[in-house]
Amino acid sequence: MADDTEDVELDFAADEQERARRSAVIRHPLASFFHLFFRVVAILSYLLCDWISENFASCFVLIITLLSFDFWSVKNVTGRLLVGLRWWNQIDEDGKSLWVFEAKKTTRGNNIGTEAEARIFWLGLIICPLIWTFFFFTSLFSLKIKWLSLVVASISLQVANLYGYLRCKTVGKDGLPPDTHSFTGQHLLQRPDIIFGIL
Amino acid sequence: MAAAEEASRPFAGLSDVSISEDIPVEGDISVPLGSTRRDDEFSTLDEPVKETILRDLRAVGNKFVHVLYPKRSTALLRDWDLWGPLLLCVTLALLLQGGAADSDDQGGPQFAEVFVIVWFGSIIITLNSKLLGGTISFFQSLCVLGYCIMPLTAAMAVCRIVLVGGSGTVSFAVRLAVVTVSFGWSTFASTAFLADSQPPNRKALVVYPVFLFYFVIGWMILTFSPSQ
Repeated sequence: MADDTEDVELDFAADEQERARRSAVIRHPLASFFHLFFRVVAILSYLLCDWISENFASCFVLIITLLSFDFWSVKNVTGRLLVGLRWWNQIDEDGKSLWVFEAKKTTRGNNIGTEAEARIFWLGLIICPLIWTFFFFTSLFSLKIKWLSLVVASISLQVANLYGYLRCKTVGKDGLPPDTHSFTGQHLLQRPDIIFGIL
Repeated sequence: MAAAEEASRPFAGLSDVSISEDIPVEGDISVPLGSTRRDDEFSTLDEPVKETILRDLRAVGNKFVHVLYPKRSTALLRDWDLWGPLLLCVTLALLLQGGAADSDDQGGPQFAEVFVIVWFGSIIITLNSKLLGGTISFFQSLCVLGYCIMPLTAAMAVCRIVLVGGSGTVSFAVRLAVVTVSFGWSTFASTAFLADSQPPNRKALVVYPVFLFYFVIGWMILTFSPSQ
């Protein structure tokens, strides 16, 4: 039971559909599906490559293509939809490179994912690089060197997203950007609903 | 008179009051935004993703055009992306396959070797230019080096076509000419983009590894021979 001092959300304005959407377990089924789809299919292709095709090159191209699509979709779409995090790199006018990590504050009425989606997101993000690291050691010790190049490429693609989102997450926890004075893009600081962290 | 004046400018006396910077001023202003515009962009997954994809494709195509006509511009540098280099690397590796690489002889480079040479070579060149004091960032340099492989990939396609006709002296001469031209083009294009970011007395030290890099790729293309 909520005690008397707790605020109770009163949503007179929300209609049936809105309420159903807010109380759904998974708000973005398509994004959740695609978040896991490319990664899992890439891992399965690596394991079943001998059955798919005898040609090493086609398997290589298939896995790299799948992981590139996965990298793009996790970075640009599913991170924003499922957990409200985003990271990117921009070059300012001086030619200096700036890494920006963005975390959305959980205000009411936001369409970020539920807890189930957040769990799907982080589990998918963490477990797949671990599996690829395991493949790294198996291919290293069985001396299949050409597969090693594929595994190294896969690990770098997957770990890049993992690292980016972990940095977004720590930014969200701290609340304040570490070094506001050195940042030149003042216009970005005027958005009140976003917390920034800047490299 | 004075009272009326003071009444008309009630805050006049406060014009020189300022808050000392030692005193922390904090508070919480929450602006009730409606559903943010950016969320609306992705509320339906289909349409906006198509737009994003088209935008990325247009950016990649734009960079390819800039490699074809290399002038000193910052288009390649400002919005870097690694899609072009990935595509070119895959195409080059697939073209360098065929014949001799399927059997395990040392006839041609294996598929993964091309990848390793291109990416590892680009990383080494980038590290070299950064150690020499270049101002370009890591991924920008990878982007430029990757996109400038395009003339060599085109040369590889032409060589494959020429080799269909035969592999005698004439075809070798034609291939040599094509590869030399495209090697010069690649090196010229990449130095046109990279040169500005280097300190002036180190330009040769930076250009030399780029020269070597494209030379190795050109060599792989020229010495490619299909299996009989």
